Amino acid sequence: MRRLLVGLAAGSMLVAASACGSSGNGASDNTSSSTGTTTVKVGVIPIVDVAPLYLGQKEGFFSKHGLKLTMTLAQGGAAIVPGVVSGQFQFGFSNMTSLMLAQSNDVPVKAIANGVASTGVSGKDFGALVVKKGSTLKSAKALEGKKVAVNTLKNINETAVRESVRKAGGDPDKVKFVELAFDQMPAALDKGQIDAAMAVEPALTTMLNQGAQQIAWPLVDAAPNLTVAMYFTSTAYATKNPDVVKKFQEATAESLAYADAHPAEVRQIVATYTKVPAGVLAKVILPKWPADPNRSSIEALEKLSETDGLFKKTPDLNTLLP
Amino acid sequence: MRGLNTALGAAGLAAFLALGEVVPRVGIVKEAYFPPTSRIASAFWDELEDGAFWSALGDTLTGWALGLATAVGAGIVVGVLLSVVPYLREATASTIEFLRPIPSVALIPLAVLLYGTELRSVLLLVVYASFWQILIQVLYGVQDVDPVAEETARSYGLGTWARVRHVLWPSALPYVMTGVRLAAAVALILTITAELVIGAPGLGATIMVAQTSQAVPEMYALIVVTGLLGLLINVGARTVERRALAWHQSVRGEVAV
Repeated sequence: MRRLLVGLAAGSMLVAASACGSSGNGASDNTSSSTGTTTVKVGVIPIVDVAPLYLGQKEGFFSKHGLKLTMTLAQGGAAIVPGVVSGQFQFGFSNMTSLMLAQSNDVPVKAIANGVASTGVSGKDFGALVVKKGSTLKSAKALEGKKVAVNTLKNINETAVRESVRKAGGDPDKVKFVELAFDQMPAALDKGQIDAAMAVEPALTTMLNQGAQQIAWPLVDAAPNLTVAMYFTSTAYATKNPDVVKKFQEATAESLAYADAHPAEVRQIVATYTKVPAGVLAKVILPKWPADPNRSSIEALEKLSETDGLFKKTPDLNTLLP
Repeated sequence: MRGLNTALGAAGLAAFLALGEVVPRVGIVKEAYFPPTSRIASAFWDELEDGAFWSALGDTLTGWALGLATAVGAGIVVGVLLSVVPYLREATASTIEFLRPIPSVALIPLAVLLYGTELRSVLLLVVYASFWQILIQVLYGVQDVDPVAEETARSYGLGTWARVRHVLWPSALPYVMTGVRLAAAVALILTITAELVIGAPGLGATIMVAQTSQAVPEMYALIVVTGLLGLLINVGARTVERRALAWHQSVRGEVAV
């Protein structure tokens, strides 16, 4: 019995000691190793949008600039933003509205490279407002008084859907928005718990496969060629490591251009870090990956978000954007 | 008797699996959202052949084991200290009752802020949740010490350490073992929850990827894995309990006189 007690106590001390011991280097800046390669951690979401980073890593665009990326998967911006600000990740992926919200709340973030953009084409975008097969709802205006699911309330998708309703001549304040994760949308729409859903790939293709119909393309309606998301860092990291940021920007720009030009390779690489079923992946509508963010679309999104009352204080795009 | 129990357990499981096969097949729920057992089983076999699955399983078990060991060690040490040192228990009682009901999951933002999405943030949540299970059981166990035995030990001139070792510890051990068994399950739940929400590598993160990928059968296959893990852990904890308490009347099956 004594041995058990002593063993347990000693074991726990060891664990505690080792946990403390390794905590010293966790938040460090990962300075260059002897080979001249800087390893940076990037917080990403396991979706198609971040394929250029994986592809760029594979094609050697990042190693060419002396960078090695370690991707860390997170469920959403909620885990990525604090991770980047506290220095756990050097870079992160987040949608534009979240970045503007963070900035207007004085969270020290700095967008540095383009992430992903809408295709800008109605009928062929990676996000769409869908209704159940055989639904009588034919346009965004018809959503007045209906339940519409978005992945996050008071964020980019709600803003975009509201603009679709507005453009169709409806009153967005009459739409009942509910929050639902993308992966739960197909079942909820099918069971009639919601009347419409703002779905993005791969949920969109899954729903279309089951006969759902698209009635609007909110990311297209929000602004032409809307910049939906960007890669960002903390202002502290950007000031301290301008060279690493510059390398990341250059390599990301090359990767975005490559991904945009090689859709087949994008689909292949997506299969390596997600579990999207092959039948769905082949049909998924890919987003656009321009090398640079589209400033006028971001300004338009800022205005719309402001109209919808998302910001307590207008975000300063000059400091937020590269 | 034991054979009968095993047979009954197997029959219950078979009925459950058959139900899982029939319900989607007859259309009570849609196959697309809740695949039948056979479809989940085939996704399960595919997972077993995937190297990434095994490393995720390893990550989860590492988080669970380290978290549980830390919680057990800390819970026992703190519990004994609180009971042995005069007034300490009274002084800490309200603080413990304040901290204990705080759900570990609510600490996720704190964990991410401190440790990012690494193992250490998983450990923070796991240890926080399972520590209380142990601590409370230790406190109860110590209270249960027979005052006559305690006084006898005192009158024989046993020191504090000797009394902790020979009187307090054996009396508290059955409680501690219950705490360990509860904590083992809680630690597993929290390990997987933390991975699922934070994205720290492990089974939970794999479930999250399957969810965002609309890979429904794979997601359920992984959920089945977590269930199996829980089952194994419970069996393991019971075995440890029986071994450690082989001398105790609850295990010996004798009536105390």
